[in-house]
Amino acid sequence: MMESGGRVCIEIQHVSKKYKGAQESSLSDVSLNILTGDVFGLLGPNGAGKTTLISILCGIVPASSGDISFYVDGQSLSKSQRKSRIGFVPQEYAFYQELSPRQNLDYFGAMYNIPKTKLEERREHLLQVLGLSKAADNKVETFSGGMKRRVNLAIGIIHEPAILFLDEPTVGVDVQSRNAIIRYLQSVNETGTTIIYTSHHMSEAEEFCKSIALIDHGKVIAEGEIQALKTAHHVASLQSLFINLTGDAYRD
Amino acid sequence: MFKLFSSLRKEFLLLINDKTGLALMFLMPLLLVFIITIIQDSAYKMVNENQIPLLVVNHDKGGEGDKLVKALKSSSLFKIDSQDQIPQQSLRSELLARGKMIALFIPEKFSAGLESNAGDVSNILMDDLGLEYDSIAKDKVDMPRLSFYHDPVLQDNYSQSVMGIVQSYMSMIENSLMIDRMYANMDLGDKSEVLKKKMILNRVKIDQIVASNNNSTALPNSTQHNVPAWTIFAMFFMVVSLGSNIVKERVNGSFLRLKTMPTTFMLVMFSKMAIYVVVAVFQVSLTFSMGIWILPKLGLPTLSVPNNFLALIAVVFVSSMAAVSYALMIGAFSKTEQQANGFGAISIIIFGAIGGILVPTFVMPGFMQYASNFSPLHWCLEGFYVLFLKGGSWKELGLVFSFLGIFILICQLATYFKLRLERII
Repeated sequence: MMESGGRVCIEIQHVSKKYKGAQESSLSDVSLNILTGDVFGLLGPNGAGKTTLISILCGIVPASSGDISFYVDGQSLSKSQRKSRIGFVPQEYAFYQELSPRQNLDYFGAMYNIPKTKLEERREHLLQVLGLSKAADNKVETFSGGMKRRVNLAIGIIHEPAILFLDEPTVGVDVQSRNAIIRYLQSVNETGTTIIYTSHHMSEAEEFCKSIALIDHGKVIAEGEIQALKTAHHVASLQSLFINLTGDAYRD
Repeated sequence: MFKLFSSLRKEFLLLINDKTGLALMFLMPLLLVFIITIIQDSAYKMVNENQIPLLVVNHDKGGEGDKLVKALKSSSLFKIDSQDQIPQQSLRSELLARGKMIALFIPEKFSAGLESNAGDVSNILMDDLGLEYDSIAKDKVDMPRLSFYHDPVLQDNYSQSVMGIVQSYMSMIENSLMIDRMYANMDLGDKSEVLKKKMILNRVKIDQIVASNNNSTALPNSTQHNVPAWTIFAMFFMVVSLGSNIVKERVNGSFLRLKTMPTTFMLVMFSKMAIYVVVAVFQVSLTFSMGIWILPKLGLPTLSVPNNFLALIAVVFVSSMAAVSYALMIGAFSKTEQQANGFGAISIIIFGAIGGILVPTFVMPGFMQYASNFSPLHWCLEGFYVLFLKGGSWKELGLVFSFLGIFILICQLATYFKLRLERII
């Protein structure tokens, strides 16, 4: 599956989602192509449908309709293959705070079927590059928000995924931790990992993403490379583009 | 295999990190069994072995009152405190003031009344036999009444037992008097002793036999009753640790994260169940060890382990599975840890109460006895009692395994469907 300028990694076709009992659809006829090696930002106001789309892509919730295809090295991935090749870093601290980072990485790494020796190597590497080595045997519950975010990230990339989903990976952390996380994610992307990322920090998204999709009320309202979108909408920043397209009104 | 080992290791680490949960699971059963066995053993001994403190006020002018007091003393069942100077009017207040639970008042005309009644009975007999006797009219004295006082907090069945004992001694005294009077009327003098011995002392004996299946002659005791019962109660309290553990993982997104990984949720649940079943087996081993080795050192009866050890292991395993499955279900249905802890703990107390852990089911009203069938603790307890008290075998355990099997299945299915509804599975 090829598209102009690159090979498609994720092909989303007419995906809709309506939760049971909900008045409106969370996603309506969303179609997107995400290219291999891209850092793709899914941006939008609160309740726009970003987390729903990521949850569908990660297989947490099923789509009500539509098709999604994954490709790695030009090969289509079956549903079972997807789980081994994708990484997911949720917005919540989805790990065991009573355990240490080392114990968490051991557990989740084993769940990804990583052999013991390889897992130990990978674990120590991640602890080091994410600045967690000194606290590697302390309980995570004693950590700062920034350290917890880094543990959350380490778990999502322990198995060197080909496709990485990040749902607000820097929410609630200080500038130092945010910079460290973004820098590390850029290095991960340089190794060929495709990143799909959501955030409310427009400046961070502008710095980090190559292309974006702006979602509002469950629909894609703009899509493409950041610079091309800014030019097309005659704005200087991603934040201005965001406000222009989604408005100033409060969102619940 | 590495995956399974890692999953088991994670559950083990979570368990040992939960210090409160661990304390609840291991110290609580030991404390419960220890305290309740001591309390119930002393209550058991109070009725069966210890002397019951009894305040006796004897105002009798004759000798029969003394005979009754002497008989009560010689029975060794009572610790008699004789206070004959106390007037009957102030006996209630004296009883409460002296901290005694029961008192017996023997009235002034106790002997006179008994002798008068014995004379009447003897005269009737002499008349019926057509024999002559000394018919000089004597003053008629009414049949005397003994007064039995007891503290209002004393349980009725306890009072009834004491009155039964007094009644039994009274029968002996009355019969003895009647025989004496008849022999005197017939001018047979002191020859009544042989008849008295035959009639009064040579009474039917009652042998107490425990209806166990293995012809055991051992009598049930407080240890044998309490150790299994309170171990089960404590075992089910793992709902506090395991239930909140499940809620935490559901709420913090760990379960959802696992859904994105190439692993099955069955592995997660299997690991939790395996670790907590091992915990339950440890709980049982610990409390039973205390019953076997520590309680006897404190003067309490020894826990005697059933001969059918394999059946005991099976009952322990099925009971553990029931406790674990219930905890999983509570964890799956609770929205917060507080809900899981609160509802879980209270429901176990309710299950324990209707299941016969706190009060035996046979003393409950009919509808509560029926309700006990719905308590998993009842069936666990029944399983242990079949082995510990009734010397039962596999055959007698059939019903226990069936009910617990159904309970486990219901809990597991409910957990599965709830987690499926939340799209965790």
